[in-house]
Amino acid sequence: MKCLLVASESAEVLFYWTDPEFELSAQEQYGASQEDGERPPAFEDSINTLFAPIIISCSTMVDQLGDSYTSFSTENNHIYVLHQFDECLYIAVNGDGEESEDDLKRKIYVLKKLTEMLFGMVTLSSTLLRKELRPQDTELRCRVWRKLQGLLETYSRLRDHDQSFLVEAVERLIHPTLCEQCIEFLERRLVQQINTSVDRAGEEVQHAFILVHTKLLAFYSSRNASTLTSSDLLALIILVQHFYPSTTDPEESTPEVSRSTFILTNDDMDSASAPEIFYTPEPSPTDNDSAELIADLFLSLTNQVAVDSLQTLEVPPQDPSTPSRVFLETTLKEGFFPMMPHSMYCLPMWPGITLVLLTKIPNSQIAMSIYNFLEGFTKLEKRLAEGQQGSPASRGQLPVNELRSKIDKFIRVLGSSDIQESVCMCCRLLPWCRNMKIQLCAIYRQCYVAEGSSRQRLSTALQDRALTMVQDKLMDWKEFLLVKSKRNITMVSYPEFPGLVHFIYIDRSAGQMIAPSLSITERATSELGKGPLAHFIKAKVWSLVGIARRYLQKGYTTVTLRDGDYFFCYFLWFENETGFKLDVVEIPSLPDDSAPIGMLACDYYRKLLRYYSKCQPSEVVKCYELLTVHLGVIPTEYILQHCSQLARKLWEPSRIPLL
Amino acid sequence: MNKYSFSSYVLIGRGDACILILWLHPTFNYFLLYDGSKVKEEGDPTRAGICYFYPEETPLEQQELLCGQLAGVSRCVAELSTSPVRLLRLRRSKFAVRMREQFLWALSSSVDVPDVSICEFLDQLISLFCFYNGPVRQSYQLHSRADLSAHWAKYLSHLQGGSTELHHIFSCLQTIDATKIDPLLLLKAALILQACQRCPLVLAGCILYRGRIVSTQMPPSLTLKVMVHETETYNQEHRPPANERSTFSTGGQSSTMTTPVFLNPSEVQALHSAGELCCFFSTSRSHCSPQPDPRARKSRLLSRTLSDTPFSEQDLTNSSPSASCQTMPCSHRSSLSDESCFSPSPGSSQDSAHFAATHQSEDSSHADSESHDYKLSNGITLSEVNGDSKEAVFGDKEETMIKTIIGSVEEGNSLTNGHHLTLEDEKDQNHEDHERHLHRPVKEERLDVGRRVLGDSPEKMWREENRTCGEEIDSELLPMVLYEHRVRALVLALLVEPQFPTDRTAPEEVYHSSLASLNGLEVHLRTSSSGAPGPPGPYSFAHYDCIQNTLTTNLSGRLPGPQDRSFVRATALLHSHFSHTYSAQEAIIRSAGAAVYGTRSAAQETFFLQHAATARNSGIPNPLDSAFALPNKARHRLLKHGVNLL
Repeated sequence: MKCLLVASESAEVLFYWTDPEFELSAQEQYGASQEDGERPPAFEDSINTLFAPIIISCSTMVDQLGDSYTSFSTENNHIYVLHQFDECLYIAVNGDGEESEDDLKRKIYVLKKLTEMLFGMVTLSSTLLRKELRPQDTELRCRVWRKLQGLLETYSRLRDHDQSFLVEAVERLIHPTLCEQCIEFLERRLVQQINTSVDRAGEEVQHAFILVHTKLLAFYSSRNASTLTSSDLLALIILVQHFYPSTTDPEESTPEVSRSTFILTNDDMDSASAPEIFYTPEPSPTDNDSAELIADLFLSLTNQVAVDSLQTLEVPPQDPSTPSRVFLETTLKEGFFPMMPHSMYCLPMWPGITLVLLTKIPNSQIAMSIYNFLEGFTKLEKRLAEGQQGSPASRGQLPVNELRSKIDKFIRVLGSSDIQESVCMCCRLLPWCRNMKIQLCAIYRQCYVAEGSSRQRLSTALQDRALTMVQDKLMDWKEFLLVKSKRNITMVSYPEFPGLVHFIYIDRSAGQMIAPSLSITERATSELGKGPLAHFIKAKVWSLVGIARRYLQKGYTTVTLRDGDYFFCYFLWFENETGFKLDVVEIPSLPDDSAPIGMLACDYYRKLLRYYSKCQPSEVVKCYELLTVHLGVIPTEYILQHCSQLARKLWEPSRIPLL
Repeated sequence: MNKYSFSSYVLIGRGDACILILWLHPTFNYFLLYDGSKVKEEGDPTRAGICYFYPEETPLEQQELLCGQLAGVSRCVAELSTSPVRLLRLRRSKFAVRMREQFLWALSSSVDVPDVSICEFLDQLISLFCFYNGPVRQSYQLHSRADLSAHWAKYLSHLQGGSTELHHIFSCLQTIDATKIDPLLLLKAALILQACQRCPLVLAGCILYRGRIVSTQMPPSLTLKVMVHETETYNQEHRPPANERSTFSTGGQSSTMTTPVFLNPSEVQALHSAGELCCFFSTSRSHCSPQPDPRARKSRLLSRTLSDTPFSEQDLTNSSPSASCQTMPCSHRSSLSDESCFSPSPGSSQDSAHFAATHQSEDSSHADSESHDYKLSNGITLSEVNGDSKEAVFGDKEETMIKTIIGSVEEGNSLTNGHHLTLEDEKDQNHEDHERHLHRPVKEERLDVGRRVLGDSPEKMWREENRTCGEEIDSELLPMVLYEHRVRALVLALLVEPQFPTDRTAPEEVYHSSLASLNGLEVHLRTSSSGAPGPPGPYSFAHYDCIQNTLTTNLSGRLPGPQDRSFVRATALLHSHFSHTYSAQEAIIRSAGAAVYGTRSAAQETFFLQHAATARNSGIPNPLDSAFALPNKARHRLLKHGVNLL
């Protein structure tokens, strides 16, 4: 019983996702209220009708009371979480007890993050975003929705099964030698070759990385590139996993088997427009050609849909090498730009192993200008609104850039004239200002989101060459990597900590984590045994992460908890670059409706580090977290000793210069 | 649009100060009762459905807006989920909600009050109304809205009444500060209640002094309801309440009155069978009473009742380490636990003598009959009582709970309830049992019991009694009578059968049998309650008894310092966590300024903070960190408050 929907202020559903159970129960209810003999309406319409009273009441509450709903819960423990971003209301529902209120809130923020990644600054204009999310054309709308629905499902799958998405930090494959070799290879051979090639059509590779399932093998950024934030990297992994889903069973994803189980979900295909096709490859493991062919076909389809999701169907047949357009946060010497257009080339080397190239596109300068103008107009609008209310313009703000000073001068001229007149002028300028911002977003859309905006790309030959190069390099390692990605590190490697069941160590400054694999499978026996116990421990770890977050949100950085037969510890601390432990400071207690604690959707830890840096201005501050699960029978003194030794031991590998 | 502008990465500021002000004076923002059946057609105005709205001075438009929106949204959500809404949260406030038939209740507070607390407040409010007025639909047919509004207002103000923020977090009963009065007075109070129960029409009772409980035989939910009327009459002595049926005053400071009340069937059943059980206990107890018995001392300590004030440090060292577990079955019903405190203290021949002396001097005429009664024996062994009665005594839910607990204790090889209430001939052996028991590793045993208790459908067990609200609204309510006998600030409140007021002899009998004792008790309470409180100690603690719904804390009565504020904040958070996660047993949480230890069992929750400038630390795991010494400190410090965490 799960549902997520986005509605406009006029109670129009802009996007929805439901699981089959919710769809069924909603249809039953709608059917009950329906007159006999009438045909059941489209599900889209019934969901609109069912939620309309809630949506309308939300806007009434905001208008009349200046307060808005954040959550509902019922006696049978159904949870509804509501959040308003600009003019869009997001409602997430759970009725099966599998998700907590925090999970639902997180899902809403992740959906927001994904739309920003796909539509960039178009999301800044509600009017335009509405059109992107809900195109008039039914088939087009279907495709956009399927893509977002698929991404949400991918996210939910990862959050439920992958520890790195549980704690929202990237997990690296722990193999320092291979890792270093790969980085060197990416830098010296691959990126250099592409960026010096004439076939690159003005694009420039900025980041290149290799993923084995969800784990990072190697990552290289060119020197003039901005740092790729953890949030963006995690979102990109969701995108890659959406294109090339990896099965959760490690046995099945060994190369030979996975060929045959590499079922291509066609959730990007519109079943209404295209016949229902499932690309099930021949099970023969020797039939490499057909498997590759299908992989290529799949790549082309998904890539095409990713880019052309907003185009009409008259667009000529998709080109397999078309990149995805993604919008990433960049900090350049020119300044900070939240959603800069990039092209993402997702090249599958083998099932489960993917090479990802992120390129800067030639006309990205325009995006920077548009962002600057948007900022300017936002400020102008704010000033005008202040003038309208008759309050003096706020002083003592951050240093102003050139545009800002121009606007200030403009406002001052307005202010020095007759007050009545200026207020009147402000009234006239305000709508113009708003309109200008929409126009800017529309230009941005035309440049980067709309059809034909991604005709530029690395030539197919160049892409093929890059893929072959890396494939050659890693051919011998392929199977090792696939197994390694499932058994990155194991508890067996920590015999000096008797009674330690599990741990997660996170470097929040780098956005990376290390944790023993928690493989839950019927066939393979892990150290945790198999079946119910392993599932139980996994469920414990998942719930404990939630508890730790809850206390961290309220300002508590250390938590120990005796829970059933287990003893759980959580620690958060700060260090400087040399590993010297810094004193704790009072961390703000956040209200319940604040953004979820994490890195994927709304980077709490970045804010935390900035907050801490204000207290330690002269130093580079790093933030670490350690979660441990021990057997409850171990005396607390030993448990705490373990934690302290573990933190020291794990400090070492995180020094590998990867990111 | 400007969400990416320069200053957007500042964390939201600290609102501690503001939060605490709200906690100190927890006010309900809104309370409303809306009758959906009055607003059916398009043209029906919303105001027709508003039965009660608090604050009453709210403009009607605002009332209509809130009622309309909340009712609309709740109905929509209830239809989508096929279940009534329980909680609606907004950014700046939250509404606990109950939907029954066509009625909607909503009670709003600030967001800082834990969910579980605000929901409990609403349930208490509704059950209070039903207790004094009967079924809601029927009351609104029989009485005018204005009359009933006055009642709602009364119950609201009672629940908001002046207690500490901690009391509001746990929504618990106010008890008399047992550390300030002679424990023998508590004993005496319990005896008075026992004496009244000899009248077959009396179900159970409680004694209140200045709005606080001295002794009670009723489950906490019922005691709470009874207290409202008492507090109200205490506050406005000269104005009799609207639905009071009769008053027969005997002049002076002493007066009695009866008020019709309504109980739900399970409450009545519990009271009926508990009355019988009490008799059994009374009689059998008299067997062992003459002999000083070391176990008896233990039992007094075990039952975390009002009377368990330790006499000396030595008492504590004698007490059983597995105390909290053993007493669960016993202390579930206050009458039982009161019973156990009757067992005289060890080596207390002096105490008993003292008791007898006071007793006689106070009520010369009635003391004889009372003491005589206690020496009666009907020959029923207590082990039988223990075995047979538990099923009859408690309602279904409670029964499950008791069974679970008893089962777990028995399995855990602990002492059962029977052990400290057995007949003389079994005594010696039991004594040995107990001795042996004392030597068992304490920790292990505690874990054992905890684990078993937790293993058995914990959701059913915890705070079950607080969830009777639905039942209250749905089920048929049975009329009963609340009899109150006031002696200045002291009140004897008894729940009696409906025919009690019209009975020829019963009122007179009860009145005369208790009058002298009450007078004596009142005098003693008045003179002894002036004792100055001891120094609070360099720590804060709160000990919540989930079974009796009482709170022991050293926080009340002093101005909250910064440490106390951190303590209250952490306590609210931990209590909230414990109420969601049934398997959680103990926790330490630490911020830069404060470290708080919380522990809980099936019967209690305890929270502890050591006052001291926390040593500077980095937050990295460190076994020498002072925060991790808290459990030990709590164990030692709290012993002298009668809280046994072993």
